[in-house]
Amino acid sequence: MKNYFLKIPFVFFSIILLIFFYLLIIERDPKEIPSALLNKKVQKFETKSLFNNQKFVSSQEFGESVVLVNFFATWCKPCRDEHKYIKKFSEEKNLKIIGINYKDSPEKAIEWLKEIGNPYSNVAIDRKGKIAIDWGVYGIPETFIVDSKSTIKFRYVGPITSKVYKKFNLLIKEIKND
Amino acid sequence: MIKNKFFIIFSIFLFQTFFTSIGSVEPDEILKNDAQELRARNISKNIRCMICQNQSIDESEAPLAKDLRILIRNKIRNGKTDKEIYVFLTDRYGDFILLKPSFKLNTFALWLLPVFFLLIGLYVIFRQNKLSK
Repeated sequence: MKNYFLKIPFVFFSIILLIFFYLLIIERDPKEIPSALLNKKVQKFETKSLFNNQKFVSSQEFGESVVLVNFFATWCKPCRDEHKYIKKFSEEKNLKIIGINYKDSPEKAIEWLKEIGNPYSNVAIDRKGKIAIDWGVYGIPETFIVDSKSTIKFRYVGPITSKVYKKFNLLIKEIKND
Repeated sequence: MIKNKFFIIFSIFLFQTFFTSIGSVEPDEILKNDAQELRARNISKNIRCMICQNQSIDESEAPLAKDLRILIRNKIRNGKTDKEIYVFLTDRYGDFILLKPSFKLNTFALWLLPVFFLLIGLYVIFRQNKLSK
């Protein structure tokens, strides 16, 4: 009887240890915060477009095909690093990509895109970071996959690397087949 | 001598406490209405800085924290209630943005497990004492 009660804390401690061990070995990034907007519709917004002094109307951009939404800025070094993959999505996968130029100078952004290539079909200007807050963005670059029903299906925080690029391709395939 | 040392340490502690309680709110952010400003400060103290993560937006100097402080003040100025502001933020950033998570079905274990473990521990100690007598 005496030993039985001594075993209870030991059992609980072992369970907690096992849970911690499991969390340690599974493939996950503990710093990654899941988006609260997954499976929710894209919020409607209007702003200036980076090109030709036109208006950017979100309702005209989403709802027809799978769209990649990429928050970027010229002052963000990782954005430059991931740009080749954003271009790959546009050139090789023929995906529609919307850029959101975050807290940046439009003139610099236009120059930047001229220099390294423009994979975006349209770029919305988010001068004060309000659109980013509506998308739950906390650290650019951030990239979202929006399906053909204007629903946010995936969010990735950080620069796209070759490994992430492959993951994106698989997800896009799945989303297109749904 | 010891009294003097104690006085110096106490003064440093007071000085540090005073300045850390000021937070990172910049003068241009402060609302003219004191009651509204107090509400904004109270909300900001419970909102996590998503970049620093262990600081509230009231203490953080990150640009996003500043944006959120301004957004909260604008919403207060436009007559939004505290609840509406919390809903706006959690809709976009999830419950993670709250430094003190609300009591919900998915946070049930978070709130009750420590109490549960404490009760088990007390029970085991109580039984052990009883059996050893």
